[in-house]
Amino acid sequence: MKNNADHETQLQQFQVEHNFDFVAIALVEPAENQYVLKWKYTSGNLSNRIKKVVLHSGKGIAGTVFKTGKPLMIKNRSEFEQREDLFNYPILVFENLRSMGAVPIWHNGRVAGVLLGGYREADRMSDEKLQILIQTAAKGIGNLDGKELMLN
Amino acid sequence: MPANKDLRLELMLKMFTNSTEAIFFFDREGKILSLNPAAEKIIDATVLEQLQKGAELAICRACRGYTSSTEIQTCINCYLSSTQPEDFSSFQVFLETKDKGVVPYAATFHSIDPENGIRVFMLRDLSVQFKTQKQLHQNTMMKHVIEAQENERKRISRELHDSVAQELLSAVIELRALKYMKGGQEILEKTEDTKVTLTRLLDDIRNLSVELRPAALDDFGLEAAFRSHFKRIEESYGITVEFKADIHKKRYGNEIETVFYRVCQEAVLNSIKYAFVEELKVSLFKKDDFLQLIVKDHGVGFKQGENPRGTGLGLYGMKERADLVGGRVDIFSEPGKGTTVHLLVPIGKAGETR
Repeated sequence: MKNNADHETQLQQFQVEHNFDFVAIALVEPAENQYVLKWKYTSGNLSNRIKKVVLHSGKGIAGTVFKTGKPLMIKNRSEFEQREDLFNYPILVFENLRSMGAVPIWHNGRVAGVLLGGYREADRMSDEKLQILIQTAAKGIGNLDGKELMLN
Repeated sequence: MPANKDLRLELMLKMFTNSTEAIFFFDREGKILSLNPAAEKIIDATVLEQLQKGAELAICRACRGYTSSTEIQTCINCYLSSTQPEDFSSFQVFLETKDKGVVPYAATFHSIDPENGIRVFMLRDLSVQFKTQKQLHQNTMMKHVIEAQENERKRISRELHDSVAQELLSAVIELRALKYMKGGQEILEKTEDTKVTLTRLLDDIRNLSVELRPAALDDFGLEAAFRSHFKRIEESYGITVEFKADIHKKRYGNEIETVFYRVCQEAVLNSIKYAFVEELKVSLFKKDDFLQLIVKDHGVGFKQGENPRGTGLGLYGMKERADLVGGRVDIFSEPGKGTTVHLLVPIGKAGETR
């Protein structure tokens, strides 16, 4: 069992390799925490504030991806802001993300977590980048695969 | 007694010239005989000229009808030409005025000299009275709406908490028992997954219940309700709320506690939405027989009176709620310096219940 620091190093390698400004993984907390969703590992982050946030299913970026099981992409935050209240998406605010993609991490036919990659400039997120996230979520990052993530 | 008669004349004359009620005298044909200064003041200049010239039915040019039992503004069976003048001892009439548009008046129209057919028409401006009435009506309505909304929320919240969540909890516990029964590993894993889903659903329902109306507010009072609310704020938005309370867990009337909770909720949410801050301060205290709440942030602030972001109903709603318990909300804000919301509600000795 690898510890958190190892996971973050692996995440950092992934961030550098694919040129993301910021990457993060949200995971389901164990039973004693009511299985809530939290951003567990981050790389390229401006602060650790986002790790304090508890995400309820259906709320925020991770909650939406978690509930729907579908990838979510924001190519330009200003367009997104027109129809959504930004304060409901703290990760965009805290990490000042201007474009991003988030994809579900599957395990045993269920969404076990969410992988997010983003930029602090608009229009840098692309369909190709989203594909990279989807592939990565499917095969895992280093020894960090769906099963490992599920076990925390 | 001649002295008495002089006095009466003098008084009548004074009333005619200084009264705020408009007085018109008409002859049998509906021509004006005289009108007092208050009447001159409300009638448009051209109509007034015609009236003074004694043109027939000149008053009709200003009159916009009276209120009958069937219509709000009508000319049918007009007071001026009616054959039954006794019908018009008290009625409402609409007049086109010089500078206030069409205004409703309380009017009386009756004969004071049946022999010569002289009639008097007196008007009292009702617009102020109407405004007061409308405001009274609005306040009562608002009070009822807020009360109904709170009651409904409380009912649904209780229902979710006491029955839906309870049942769900039983289901989770039953699932837990499966672990000790004989069954394939596969089945156990599947039930474990189901348990996770149900537990999360339970959590969602509890959140929904608290969001509607926290049971803690009714059961434990303001301080406890605030603490758990701020904990949730921190969890959901990553914003730290520094909360200070020195009411020593005292309880106040249900209505007052609700007002404090809702105003605070609105003010805090405003800070989160618009102030772009990482932390804010909330204090709750009693001073000089006033229960007071201060919500303060050092965010972007705004200029008062400018077009608000969002619906602009939030600030109005806070003031309305405070109004309901005889309190008031003061909002101080300056661009770049942050915003402070201050709620004060008078608390008599009767206000404390425990």
